[in-house]
Amino acid sequence: MAQQLRNINLVAPAFKGINTEDSPIAQDPSFAEVADNAVIDKRGRIAARKGYSVSTTDKTALGSGSIRAIEEFKEAGANKIFSVGNNKVFSGVTTLVDETPAGYTINNDNWKIVSFNDNLYFFQDSQEPLVYSNAFEVVTVDSTTGFVVDETITGGTSSATATIKSVHSSTELYIEQTRDGTFTASETLTGGTSSTTATFSSISTGSVLKMSDVTGATTDVANIPKGNEVIGAYGRLWTADTSTNTSTVYWSDLLIGQNWTGGTSGSINISKVWPDGYDEIVALAAHNGFLIIFGKHSIVVYQGAEAPATNLMLADTVAGVGCVDRDTVQHTGTDVIFLSNTGLRSFSRTIQEKSMPISTLSKTITKDIISLTQNESSFFRSVFSPEENFYLLTFVGQQTTYCFDVRGTLEDGSFRVTRWPGSSYTAYDRAEDGTLYIGNSDGICQYTGYSDNSVKYRFKYYSPSLTFGDPTRLKLVKKIKPTLVGSNNASAFIYFGYDFETTYRATEFSIGNQTPAYFDVNEFGANSSPLSEFTGGELTTQKNLNATGNGATVVVGLETDINGFALSLQEINVQALLGKTV
Amino acid sequence: MDDFLKWLMGGAGAGLLGQAYSQLGNVGQQGLSYGQQLANLQQQQAAFRPYTITTPTGAMFTASAPAPTPVGVGAQGFFVDPLAGSGQEGGQQDYIDPDFDQEMLKSSHPSRNMAQADMSDPLPMRPEGAFDPTMAAPQPAEFGMQLSPQEQQFYQNMFGGAGQFFQQAAMPTADRESSIYERMRALSAPEEELERQNLEQRLAAQGRLGMQTAQFGGAPEQLAMSRAQQQAQQSQKLAAIQQAQAEQAQQAALGQQYLGAAYIPQAQMLNALTPGMTAAGQAQQAQLYGTGLFGEAAASGLDMLLATALGRANLAGSLGGGLLGGALGIDLKDII
Repeated sequence: MAQQLRNINLVAPAFKGINTEDSPIAQDPSFAEVADNAVIDKRGRIAARKGYSVSTTDKTALGSGSIRAIEEFKEAGANKIFSVGNNKVFSGVTTLVDETPAGYTINNDNWKIVSFNDNLYFFQDSQEPLVYSNAFEVVTVDSTTGFVVDETITGGTSSATATIKSVHSSTELYIEQTRDGTFTASETLTGGTSSTTATFSSISTGSVLKMSDVTGATTDVANIPKGNEVIGAYGRLWTADTSTNTSTVYWSDLLIGQNWTGGTSGSINISKVWPDGYDEIVALAAHNGFLIIFGKHSIVVYQGAEAPATNLMLADTVAGVGCVDRDTVQHTGTDVIFLSNTGLRSFSRTIQEKSMPISTLSKTITKDIISLTQNESSFFRSVFSPEENFYLLTFVGQQTTYCFDVRGTLEDGSFRVTRWPGSSYTAYDRAEDGTLYIGNSDGICQYTGYSDNSVKYRFKYYSPSLTFGDPTRLKLVKKIKPTLVGSNNASAFIYFGYDFETTYRATEFSIGNQTPAYFDVNEFGANSSPLSEFTGGELTTQKNLNATGNGATVVVGLETDINGFALSLQEINVQALLGKTV
Repeated sequence: MDDFLKWLMGGAGAGLLGQAYSQLGNVGQQGLSYGQQLANLQQQQAAFRPYTITTPTGAMFTASAPAPTPVGVGAQGFFVDPLAGSGQEGGQQDYIDPDFDQEMLKSSHPSRNMAQADMSDPLPMRPEGAFDPTMAAPQPAEFGMQLSPQEQQFYQNMFGGAGQFFQQAAMPTADRESSIYERMRALSAPEEELERQNLEQRLAAQGRLGMQTAQFGGAPEQLAMSRAQQQAQQSQKLAAIQQAQAEQAQQAALGQQYLGAAYIPQAQMLNALTPGMTAAGQAQQAQLYGTGLFGEAAASGLDMLLATALGRANLAGSLGGGLLGGALGIDLKDII
């Protein structure tokens, strides 16, 4: 008598993301052994991630370097994208305009950029911070030779005056909202000190200055903390991790991010606060009314950061958990996510108790993420996108990105996670309008479309080892029936393997085509009939594929190249016969 | 016969007159001599009698008799040495007018004239050997005061103490201020250290130990404590200054008190002197009164003696005058 086929219905396979921690046999089929270049889509299915589209058309200033940081300068109606790379500071997206102050040498691109109080601040270790403001005006003249800093230039016709903050280039003078009056075209500007004259050409707003050149700044550059980490919170800039001091947090004067020695500025050395006796500050975060100071292997939480000089007080310490890199810290609104040596973790927000329970978000890939963390020799990048509902963590040196879905957590509190291998992302920024900017060697890109700048990428799904409820008996897989949504004209491969082998048998199939119909456009050309027809919404492809072989456990996989179209894996039905007990 | 008789009578009358004249001269000399003797005797009787007053605590007041003052003749006249009575010339001397009748004075000087005078009837009350005729005028009396050894020790102690107190009061107060301040700091320093440690522990517990602020330097609590301690130190400095000045005033007051106390034995001795002097004065007054009575009695006898001698001379003179007048037939009273 023919034996009845035993069916395993993998509904929304990999709905719970990758799980490489639990035993493959005992795993929930909702996990995936592999989910590359995938995300959890809006319907909870595993789907292909979006690709990126390079927005930069002129990356001359970037040269062969990569964009290392992107930050949007936010000011009403005057938002502006800034980026760094190739030891320069750039503005713009399509054309990278070198905004590096004249005479300012940048030795590294490990900038942390924060927008604060209508200014954009650039901090990195051992470099005098830079400041951008729309209030910093640039005067273009025919020649800047002879002009000196801090002298007043006066228009010969308009009698307008301004004070030179720096001589940016051979034709540009920086003034910082010191202009009194309006210069008129082609008038002669005369320096009050040098008596140098030049012909005025134009004036533009916005420029990057050295912090010490900014009005109200600490004039002695030595007294400006050159921290590797900076955040803007509670009305101040907070910085830490300088080349000479990794235990002190500095805060600026209230609302004056360039004043570090006057007003209500100050600092606190927490070398005697570390719960483990010694640590080094890696990152800072403001969350739930607290100032969180991340060490490498411990965390110190302060309250009263709103008035630090009088109220800053230790609230909590966490030993054994620290932060690997400042660029892994992201705010999701309810959590502060950061990468520790043992995986991705978060501080949750509890308003009433004012406590911050710490949780582990990467329990399903703990070993993998620890390995990547330990082997990372370059740097980390991360971003939180509420529009895409994910937190991306990129190990730049290993070109691996983990995508954590932040819409919900699993039973153990972990985020659903997928992996994006081969990702060469070197910077992220989520703009105010929701645009997710990605930086790489091509310049500034946007997370959009379904190709990596017109280059396809591989979507992979592999199930955990399936036992069909009885791991002791042979399974003879007869049919594999995937249901796919989207991905026009793509060739897909169903892989299946037995007994934990890494060699799989494959079956190729083509995903159907669906030409979108547009209003008043003939489907089959001019004068064809009918003029057009309705499309069926999302293209759904169901295949019934034969399979061979047998084993105690079965792994089913699906791979396809994503090249312009989205793809979601709705379900996979695996039908098998149960054989003898092995 | 009549002539002879008249001559004889005239001669007898002349002789009587001469005898009367001579007797009158002797009466004067005797009166002078007896007066001088009486004066000397009364001077001796009225002389100061030394006495000593001793207080119960042993202090003594001694009033010694004055030394006799020799009388001499200097080149510039007679002088009385008020100090030593040596009779030497020169020096600070009280001179007698040289125009004075020196002969009279010579004759009146007992050392020269007493022997020549007819002292056949000396005054019987003169004590033999008690009168030194060379002591013409008394030297100033000597008064001595002497404290008992205990009082003298007390006086010296008090005086030395007063000197020390005044010396200390005259010293600059800076060193004392510093000393007082150090002692006050030594008292308050442990408490301040304890407070500092408590604050340090509190700041450490709050994780604020390493705080540096532009407003307060360190943490506000540290500034407040530092300010409080500075204020306390300033107060202590001020208190030290005031204390040093108060001690200076106290030293001066103690010096005054010691100085006053040093004179207490002397004052008490002087107080005790008053009743002693009263008693001595009363004895002197009685002595002087007796001397006066003696002088008056002696003077009345001397007057009677002189009056008798004068009467004898007058009788002889009257008889001689009558005889001589009868011989000459004239009444001498008409002539005289």
